[in-house]
Formats: sequence, C-alpha cells, structure tokens
Amino acid sequence: MLASLLGSKGSEKVLIFIATRGEGYAREISQFFDMDISTIQNQLDKFELGGIMASDTKGRTRLYTLNPRYPFLKELKQLLDKALSFYPEIERERLVMERRRPRRRGKPV
Amino acid sequence: MKSIGKMTQAEVAAFVQSHLRKHKIYVTLSGGAAVSIYTVNRYVSADVDLVEDTYVDRNRIKIAMEEIGFREKNRYFIHLDTQHIVEFPSGPLSVGGEPIKHIKEIKYATGILRVISPTDCVKDRLAAYYFWGDQQSLVQAVLVGIHNRINISEIKKWSQAEGKIEGFKVFLKKYDDERQNSRR
Repeated sequence: MLASLLGSKGSEKVLIFIATRGEGYAREISQFFDMDISTIQNQLDKFELGGIMASDTKGRTRLYTLNPRYPFLKELKQLLDKALSFYPEIERERLVMERRRPRRRGKPV
Repeated sequence: MKSIGKMTQAEVAAFVQSHLRKHKIYVTLSGGAAVSIYTVNRYVSADVDLVEDTYVDRNRIKIAMEEIGFREKNRYFIHLDTQHIVEFPSGPLSVGGEPIKHIKEIKYATGILRVISPTDCVKDRLAAYYFWGDQQSLVQAVLVGIHNRINISEIKKWSQAEGKIEGFKVFLKKYDDERQNSRR
C-alpha cells in the first residue's frame, strides 16, 4: 500500500499499527504481523529519531505513540487512515478490535 | 576566543552554529536552551538543541562536530571540556503544525547565534504542555513570557489552530498572575 513510499513494508506496518491502536511496543507489533522483532524495533527507532513517533517507558516496556508535535501529523493520519481502508477486512478488524478491558490476574482465558 | 570549557551555554551554541555555517550547515537553537537564554538562566538545561533548517546528512554533521572536539554518543554530541550536550533533533523547525519563520540573531564573542523568537519559544513550551500535559513546560512558557516581549494574540491564534484554546486560557491566567506579582 504505502511500502514503496515509506521505503519498506515494516515501516508501513509499524505506522498503521500505531496510528490505529494509538500506541504499541515492539514485541506486540512483531507478534501481530509475525515479523522479526529487530526489524520492527529498527523502524520504531527510525521514526522516533525522525520526530514522527515519541516513546516512554511503562514498567519495563517502551511504548510508542505518534508524536503529537510532529508538524505533519494530521496529514500523516489522513494518509494512514486511507491506507487502512484498503486493507483486507479481516486484517482491519484484527487491528481495530483489540481487547482493552482489564483481565484479572490468574483468570483462565 | 575563550576555551569551550569556559563558555556559557549560549556561547557554546553560537560557537557550534558558526562552525557549522562554515560547512554550509544551517541550524537554529530551539528547546530548553532557548528557554535558558530568554529567562536569563532562571531555567537551566544542559541540552543544546540545534534544529536543521534543511535536511543535512548526519555524517556531514559528525565530521564538522569532530573538528571542534565533539564526539557522537547515542545521537548526542559531547565534549570532554563542557557539560553542554549538543543534539540535532529532526527538522523541520516547527511548533505544532506551524513552521517557524521568525529567527532571532544574537551576537556573542564566540559567534552569531540563531535562535527561535521568544513568542515561538513560548509556543514550543506550550506544545509540550498541550500535548503531553507537562507542567514544567507550562511554567517555562510563563517565565519566557514575563521576561520578554511576546505576541499574545499570535499565541492565542496558534493555540486555536492546534485545538488547544482551553490550554491557552490556563497559560494566560498564569501569565497574567505572574506579571502582576512581578510588578508588586
């Protein structure tokens, strides 16, 4: 979709994931797309260095978000939204429909 | 010229900028160091954030910085004789969705310093307050405001464009209170 514009499929997947979910961490994204974690981490590092993403730690996890101070944030979101609308419905649903409610410790799945 | 170890933060920034200009690398001071300059060091930051005016290859910056004794460590440039750390955040020079157009030039013995204006410095701090809820940045925005001539209506217009007019009202109240206190 946007891979040729962004330089790689990894770049597109990382951006789509973070834009859709609002935040994410390397392992979560790599598991979701079944991609190598170092590839995803490199993309996250690249976007953070470029000011497109911002990160902070939560416990032992480094969480990434789109940088609200990025000057082209609005336009980037519009582009990613449009790209997402071209994704297969099943993948779009997987991205959007994520369990957000709490799960008590020890509770069987 | 004095040694880098004896230079103030602003002098270091002017020295580095002037050296980079010889390499046709044009950068502008932003971030915490700009706050330090505009608040006469009431707020102190060790970081010197130099934002590129146009895209520059990282390697060119590295070569130029090494000529004046800085070496790169984890994206930052450090010098053994000074505590000031130089960073080159990614451009473009902007506050929120707005490009920064007004650059102030201040002359030091070590060179000419290009720095964002006090009004843009306030917007820069307010952006951190608006988007991350950073209270320290709000305090810094107020400090810059009371020590410098700033354009409040421009800041209001910018805040509106960013969808943060409620945040602006908080800033304005704090700014007015501080101005009244400083007159007493």
